[in-house]
Amino acid sequence: MNITVDTSGSSPPSVQIVEAILDRVASGELTPGTQLPSVRGLASAVLVNPNTVGRAYRDLAQMGVVRGRSGSGVFVTEEGPGIARDLRSAATLEAVSQAVTEALRAGHSPEHILQVVEGIVAVTTKDAR
Amino acid sequence: MNNDAPIRIRGLEVRYGKRSVLSGLDLDIPPGTTLALLGENGAGKSTLLKACLGLRKPKSGTVRVLGLNPVRRPAKVQRQVGYVPDRPDVYPWMSPSELMRFLAPHYSSWDASRARELLEQLRVPQARAFRQLSRGEGMKAMLAAALVPRPTVLLLDEPFGGLDPLVKDEVLRAVLEVLGERKPTVLMATHDLEIALRAADRIAVLAGGRIAREGTPEEIADRRTNEAVHPKDLHRVLAKTREASHR
Repeated sequence: MNITVDTSGSSPPSVQIVEAILDRVASGELTPGTQLPSVRGLASAVLVNPNTVGRAYRDLAQMGVVRGRSGSGVFVTEEGPGIARDLRSAATLEAVSQAVTEALRAGHSPEHILQVVEGIVAVTTKDAR
Repeated sequence: MNNDAPIRIRGLEVRYGKRSVLSGLDLDIPPGTTLALLGENGAGKSTLLKACLGLRKPKSGTVRVLGLNPVRRPAKVQRQVGYVPDRPDVYPWMSPSELMRFLAPHYSSWDASRARELLEQLRVPQARAFRQLSRGEGMKAMLAAALVPRPTVLLLDEPFGGLDPLVKDEVLRAVLEVLGERKPTVLMATHDLEIALRAADRIAVLAGGRIAREGTPEEIADRRTNEAVHPKDLHRVLAKTREASHR
C-alpha cells in the first residue's frame, strides 16, 4: 500500500492518511477483511509519529470503515467500501458544487460548464487507462 | 490539570538578568506524547528544555519532571531523562565510542552492547573524533547516547537543525522507531514545521514567553487555515450534500 504524507499539503498528516485509506477502500484496492499495516510499520513508511497513525486508524474505526480486533490488528469492515464511497463522493460533490457556484458567479453559462465537465471526465478517464 | 503528565509546568518565569525569557508558561505533556515546541530563534525554546533539566532556576512558577523538581533533584531527573543539545559539542577529541564509555559509569542501567548497536543502527563512525564527524553524524551519536539508558522522557533541542534532507530522513526514521518501540514522553524544540508535523503528535507554539497555542496538528491547522476539515466533519458534509441532492 503506497501511501505518502506531504507536509507541505494543506491537510495535516493524520487526515492525509485517513483520506488515502478511504480512497483505497472505496476503489476496491482494500477489500473487506484486509488487514491494514501495523501502526509502527505505516508510521515508519510514511515518516510520521506512530500516535498520528493511531489517531487516523481511530478516526477510520469511528466512521465504521475499519475495525480493530484486539491484539491481531486492524481490518477493513464489510460495510467499509460503501461508507468509504459515500464519504468520498460527498467530498467530491462538495468540491464540484463549489467549482460550479464559482463558475456561475463568473458568468459562465450552465451549458458551457457541463461541456467543460464532460471534457474533463473524457480526458481524465482516457489518461487513467 | 493532568497529574500523570511526565512534564508539568505552571506559571514558569525564567529571567536572564532583567530580561524575562519565559513568563507565565503553562504546559502539560501527557505520557507517551511527542510534543513539538515551535518558536522563532530566541523565543525561549532551549531555556524551557534547560529548565526541565534543572539547569535554569525559575524566578517563579513550578516545573515537574516525572513528579520531581529538577532544580532540587537534578541527578534523579537527569538519570531518567535523555537530552540531546542543539549542537554535538562534546569534547572534540572524543570519539562516539569513547563518549559511551565516558557516560556508562553514571547510569546503573547502562548497556554497552545496546550502545554499540545504536551507533551501528544509526551508522555513526564509532572511532572517529567528534571534530571529524559531520553535523548529522554528531547529532546521531548524541541521540544514540541519550537513548542507551532507555529514558522515559526525552528532551530534544533542534535535533534536525542543519541536516541535509537525506540525513534528516534517516535521523527522523531513527527517532520514530524509538517512539514506536519505547513510547517515551518527548519535548522537542524546533522551528521546522515539517519536522513538527511528522515527528510530533501534538504541537505547541511558544511566543511572548508563553505557550500561545497547543493541540494536535489537526487542531493547529484548523485554526490556522480554517480549510482543513477533520474526518469526523465529513459526516456533517455528507449529511449536508445528501440534503442538497434531494431538494
